[in-house]
Amino acid sequence: MTSPGDATPVKPPPSFSPGVARVASPSRYPEEHESTQSIDVQLAETQSASSSTPPLSATISDLPNRSGSPHSRSGRSSTPHLARSSIGSPFDGRADGSEDIRSLIIRSFSPTIAVHASEDTDDLVRNKGFKGGFWELIRPFGETVSGKVVIRDSIGSSRAWEDYGVRFVSFKGIGKATPSRDSGPLAQMEEVLKKQLDSSEGLMGASIRTKDVLGFPAATPLFKSYLQQLLCAAPAAPHETFGHPVANVIAISSRNPAPLESLRQLYADSTTGDRHLPDWVHQEYLRYYVLVHDEERDDITESTKLYDQMKRHFGLHCHLLRLRSSQCVVTDDDSVQVPRCEWLSPSEHLSGAETLVDLGTDGTPYLFDSDATAIRAFIRELVVQSVIPFMENKVAVWNDQVASRRRGISGRFISMSKRWAFGSSSRSSMGSSGGGNYDSTQHFYTPDSPEAVLRKMADFAFMLRDWKLSTSTYEMIRSDFGNDKAWKYHAGAHEMCAVSMLLNPLATSAKIKLDSVDQLFETACYSYLTRCSDAPHALRCLSLAVELLKSRGGSATESAAKWAMRVMDFGLVGSVGQILYTERVAACYASKTPVGAAKWGGRRRKAGMWSTLAADQWLKAGKPTLASACLEEAERLYADVLEADGVFPMPEMQNFVDNLRHAIKVEYLEARGFDARDDSPTEDPLDTEEISEKLDKRNHRRSLIGLPVQLDAGALNPQGPRDPENPNDDFERA
Amino acid sequence: MSYYFTILSPTDTPLFNIAFGTSKGGGDGIARFRFPETAQYMNQFIIHSSLDILEEAQWTNGAMYLKHIDTYPPAAAYISAFLTPSGARFLLLHQPPHLPSSTSTGSGLGSSSLLGSAGSTTRASSSSVAANPTSPQTEEAVRQFMNEVYENYVKTAMSPFYKQGMEIKSPVFRTRVTAAGKKWL
Repeated sequence: MTSPGDATPVKPPPSFSPGVARVASPSRYPEEHESTQSIDVQLAETQSASSSTPPLSATISDLPNRSGSPHSRSGRSSTPHLARSSIGSPFDGRADGSEDIRSLIIRSFSPTIAVHASEDTDDLVRNKGFKGGFWELIRPFGETVSGKVVIRDSIGSSRAWEDYGVRFVSFKGIGKATPSRDSGPLAQMEEVLKKQLDSSEGLMGASIRTKDVLGFPAATPLFKSYLQQLLCAAPAAPHETFGHPVANVIAISSRNPAPLESLRQLYADSTTGDRHLPDWVHQEYLRYYVLVHDEERDDITESTKLYDQMKRHFGLHCHLLRLRSSQCVVTDDDSVQVPRCEWLSPSEHLSGAETLVDLGTDGTPYLFDSDATAIRAFIRELVVQSVIPFMENKVAVWNDQVASRRRGISGRFISMSKRWAFGSSSRSSMGSSGGGNYDSTQHFYTPDSPEAVLRKMADFAFMLRDWKLSTSTYEMIRSDFGNDKAWKYHAGAHEMCAVSMLLNPLATSAKIKLDSVDQLFETACYSYLTRCSDAPHALRCLSLAVELLKSRGGSATESAAKWAMRVMDFGLVGSVGQILYTERVAACYASKTPVGAAKWGGRRRKAGMWSTLAADQWLKAGKPTLASACLEEAERLYADVLEADGVFPMPEMQNFVDNLRHAIKVEYLEARGFDARDDSPTEDPLDTEEISEKLDKRNHRRSLIGLPVQLDAGALNPQGPRDPENPNDDFERA
Repeated sequence: MSYYFTILSPTDTPLFNIAFGTSKGGGDGIARFRFPETAQYMNQFIIHSSLDILEEAQWTNGAMYLKHIDTYPPAAAYISAFLTPSGARFLLLHQPPHLPSSTSTGSGLGSSSLLGSAGSTTRASSSSVAANPTSPQTEEAVRQFMNEVYENYVKTAMSPFYKQGMEIKSPVFRTRVTAAGKKWL
């Protein structure tokens, strides 16, 4: 990402007429200390030296800070709880930016591993304080596999990934679509959003907007959490195999009286029993056997013997996991906190919302260090030695047996003949049922039909991050689905085709045709929405389009903005979601950086406009903190394009922005009014030094400063209220 | 179809503003924008934001009339631009009329119309200019309009009482622009 974020503001290209001299507008973000000094002086003057520092500082520092400044950034990192963890974002340590979102998207499509544990194993784990049993214990550890994971792609070159993860799901949960609790996932997500907003405002009212290192608007934690929920909201579905298990972990414990027998029982359960997976799930997944050894109650020699026996029976895919069976509490010597689950579906967010509030107190359970290490080692072994090789192998086999046949001349001929022969006679009457392997009554392909296998292969390749292969495979099958009128498959293949095209790092932006990507998204979206009326998937598709195109940069950001507007147009998101997407449009435009010597091609005005609109909407939603953050963002964006500081050339715009600023200020102070009284004594010492940092940055803060003096310090200010007309002429034209 | 026409100085200061409606197809020449009365600032925001595009387009296009350069999809607003040699920019925002069903929220964001799909109009469906903002006929009509305004602008700017960069207050100019709007749009 190249972004001259911290550089001096870029002037727009000189306008047509050479006759009009363009006075270089004063830099709003003075890097040098001299200028900050002068602004300080100026400020001091305009403040008429009213020595009401304590109340002033209390109010000012409560205002969402300008995180663009290096000072406040350093301040933020020292107090991370203020900003981001209030939302429970797990990304505290990382720099924000489009790379981050990209990685988020990549990680969201990780292999699913089912966990099927025996009763005694679950009992053992429940003793340790995990109500959900074995699955709940290992789930958070699966989201990041420790160490690098090396994956070989289809042409044999290998690449190491730091951030590989797998998703553990409870075996019982797969395919059983959770009985929709009176609302779809989208409504639930909206609900979660509202909750998060309330809790974050209620907790500290701190700014939850962050910026990446370069000062560019990054995704807010709020949006990130929204995106994460969106990406894992969809339950396992026939038309894509991301939710289908790649492997099944079958676990027994050393307490089990008849271990081999119960392993067999669990295996039978998963294949034939009443718990077996839906028909559309491919049955050829990896079985992995785990023996959980109770370190405290059972004999390790017994367990080792049993483990050897398991190895003889089931081959290499076995693991002996040694855990202590007693519950760990915080006060234990070697207690470590269980990492938080990153990928929680909206409904889980809703049911577990209370842990969000009392974060870090007693909501999250603790584990012994030795246990955590053992689980990490187990997961690493499971992924690196079994799951990845299994998937690589499958991809290679399917590529060889199914895909290459399709790619060959005969395959083309077959698909052509199929299309034409059936097409002429039976297009209308039996086209869908007669032609292909698509079961049009139940709406899925049988798992072993070539179409389903190819889709699975493409998904595997995608999860192995071999986007080149997945692109070509999706490309190959996407028209087949259309011919069979399997619309959901059709949409899914188009969506993933475009996504893997965009993710492929080798395909440079020049190489891939943005038009064709747009076309793919368009088709996918149409199929999802109009043909299947599947709003969650459509929203996912469009959001992926927005984020990936945005991370492409250049001219792609404009279509990213277009898709974000489309999301709002389609009404796929609720009222809070609308605002989030308005912010996204602004972010898309803001990320388009001017290029070349002439410095044109920026979209600062557009970004500023959308930011202002977002501020307006946040205000209407009663969130003045966020509104204020957006407005500042807008000011920052407008700074480069406006002639004079904060003075819009157009009167009505000026008027609107002035009014908006005033309204935000008033509401903000009203909201803070109660808070400030409550906790001002504690906040004061903390904030006194921050005030200078904030003030020296921009002099147009004056207006915001003016009012607090008037409101809060009315009694304290020795000089009494300042001159009354001052608070209103916000935009310091003076 | 509603129009919002602005002349911007090279430093982005508006020199002249006028809002008018179509007079073709039985239109009464009164602007009816999709924004509620309280949100008329949106026109200026949209015009202002399209300067981004204009500044890019002016280097890639040799002509004075840049045609349709920008769109604001949530309100189906289209921007056409015209450059004068002196650096003043003519920007015309045109917006097909409200669809009866579409309800725009406060800032005009909630309107349910899609990009370009707002072609069917109620009032002025007979007129090709109003029917499709990106059609060649519209482009041509806007070009004619722009040329006529340009001619008048030059005359106004040559007035000894007019200094470059001043707001154009001449009532004659205003009536001429209105007449041009009536004639072509």
